[in-house]
Formats: sequence, structure tokens, C-alpha cells
Amino acid sequence: MLPTPYIKCDYDKVYEPSEDSFLVLDSLEKDISFLNERFQNQLAIVGEIGPGSGIVTTFMMKNGVPSKSTSLYFALDISPWALEATKETAKLNECSEKDSYLEVIQSDLTTSLRKKQVDILVFNPPYVPAEDVPEVPSTREETDQWLDLALLGGKDGMVITQKVIDQLDYILSPKGVAYILFCARNKPEELVAKVMETQPWNVELVEHRKAGWEVLSVYRFSRSNESII
Amino acid sequence: MKFLTTNFLKCSVSACDISNDNFPLQYDGSKCKLVQNEDIEFRPEFLLNILDRIEWSAILQVAADLGNTSLPPNKPKLNINVDELTEEEQIILRDLHTLLLQTSIVEGEMKCKNCGHVYYIKNSIPNLLLPPHLA
Repeated sequence: MLPTPYIKCDYDKVYEPSEDSFLVLDSLEKDISFLNERFQNQLAIVGEIGPGSGIVTTFMMKNGVPSKSTSLYFALDISPWALEATKETAKLNECSEKDSYLEVIQSDLTTSLRKKQVDILVFNPPYVPAEDVPEVPSTREETDQWLDLALLGGKDGMVITQKVIDQLDYILSPKGVAYILFCARNKPEELVAKVMETQPWNVELVEHRKAGWEVLSVYRFSRSNESII
Repeated sequence: MKFLTTNFLKCSVSACDISNDNFPLQYDGSKCKLVQNEDIEFRPEFLLNILDRIEWSAILQVAADLGNTSLPPNKPKLNINVDELTEEEQIILRDLHTLLLQTSIVEGEMKCKNCGHVYYIKNSIPNLLLPPHLA
């Protein structure tokens, strides 16, 4: 089992790694041979949306997912606190600037990235159903609101996730894959069936687990037309 | 933010996506503070790989914005096998390493050539968020 990064953050400001975060780590670990085969000896541009504490990106850098020496990691978050926490967590786990290529970018999802560049997209979204998606706070100091942004996903908890799924073709490189986490209330089976029917994506369940009263799952999206590779 | 990252950032305004001017962003040389970090290790394998993905014309533009006009006009074509690099190719890779990975913009600003929106880099972190009326 690959080691989990050591995390020491102020959880009044960033999301505390929880069952969902660990399920993402386990999914990536489970898929290591799939990823290695897909990106062997080639560069992989990794993009994590909403890294929060930085646990997932640090896990990938530290354990060389998919490969330490040829990967470039972008951590994109809307919250300034999350970006600072991600940098700190990487440092705390000895992923130094010297030998890992991490860039943190303050960005609303991937709207700041040039198209079709991300090889591995990882997204643990704000998936909790809520009346509305919270507004972006106007100052850094509104820490509660920044935290709400990390949690609340509007109707069915799917408003933000759906935006990313709709943009996948723009975001992912020709051989790119995306790992996205869902909770049962997001109705992922319905979504997956609809996506597979109407869009050129192959969607596979990588891991699922009951976590308290929640059932969480991580799905892998890849282009169904693999002949372009 | 590493120089390399300028090759991946575009304007966040979605209406600019149909324009060819939303990438690369235009860096204001007089306001960008550059820092060299010589501790960053030289990894020829990474450079050879990333070279493949790089949009060379954008590298030239950003380098010129920041006052460096000494780059070759065309993307260097290098032997893909790390062990078979000639001495000359090694030198090219070293230069690229210095530019792309060791050079960082720690403070600065850049704007979209299409809509003119200005973005800032503070503490090495680029901020590509839009104000509510543009988001």
C-alpha cells in the first residue's frame, strides 16, 4: 500500500481529508498499472481541481503516480487557502521544488487552462446537495464561505461536477483520463448511463465504498474512440 | 510560477475561447519580477517530453515580453533518446531547463490580448479568477 501523505492544515480554512479523499487515493493506487501502461515513459500532465489540503496531488507526486520524473502537476483551486495548503503539504512530504514540478493556480475549475492539455484529471468535487452553489467570497477572510465552496454542489450536488463533465473534451488530451468522485445522492449510475449513451466517453467504476451513511464512488472517464491514441 | 506554466495558461473568459488571442497571455515585462532557482534539478528526460507538448511560438512571445529575444526561432528538434544526446543537444536542453523550470515569475501581471483583462501573479501564484461580472 502506498503511503498516505502527512497533513497538517488549518481545517477552519481548508477541507479536512476525509473518506472521500481517501477513496480517491485508493482509486489512483488501484489504477496505477493502468496509468503506467497508458503513459509509459511519456510525459503526463496531471491536473487536480479543488486540491484543498493538497492530499491527492501530494500523494501522486510522492508516490510517482504516474511517474515522478516525467510528470507535471497543476493544482487548481478557487480558494487561496487551498493553494497555500497544497504547497505546504507538498513541502511537508518532501516533494521539494528541486525535483517535483508542482504549480498551484488560482482558477475557477479549469477555465484558465489551454485546451486538451490534461492527461490525468482528478476531481473530488463539492458534491453535497444544497439549494444553491455558494457565491465566491469577496475577501480572503471569509473562511467559512471558502469552506462551503469546497462542499456544496447545488441541486443533487451535481452543479459543479456537471460543468466539468461537460468540459471534459476541452480539458483532456487525446489520451487523457479523468477520475471523478460521486456520492450516491449525485445519482452517478444515471449520469454514467446517460453519458455513455450520448457522449464519446467510456466510464468505469474504479472504487466504491460505504462511508458512514454515504456511499461514495470514483469513476474513470476516458475517450471511447481510443483509435486516436 | 515557472516560466513553463505560461505555456498552459489562457484567459479565463469563456467568450475569448473562440479567439486566437487568448493564449499566450501578454506579460508586462516592467512589472514582472523574475527569480532564478538553481536548485531545481536538471532532468533531460522531462525536458525532452515537455518539449513535445510546448507551443514554441508562445514561448518566444512570452520570453520577448520578459526581455529575452535570444531563443531560436524554431522549436529545437532533439534526439528522443536521452542516452544518445550530442553535446550540442545537451547544451540546448540545459538552456531550456534554465528558462522553463529555473526561471519563475514571482510577482507580475499579464493580460489577455483579446479582451484586455489583466491577471496578477502574487507570491508566485497566478490568479486567473474573474470578477463576478465576467465569470
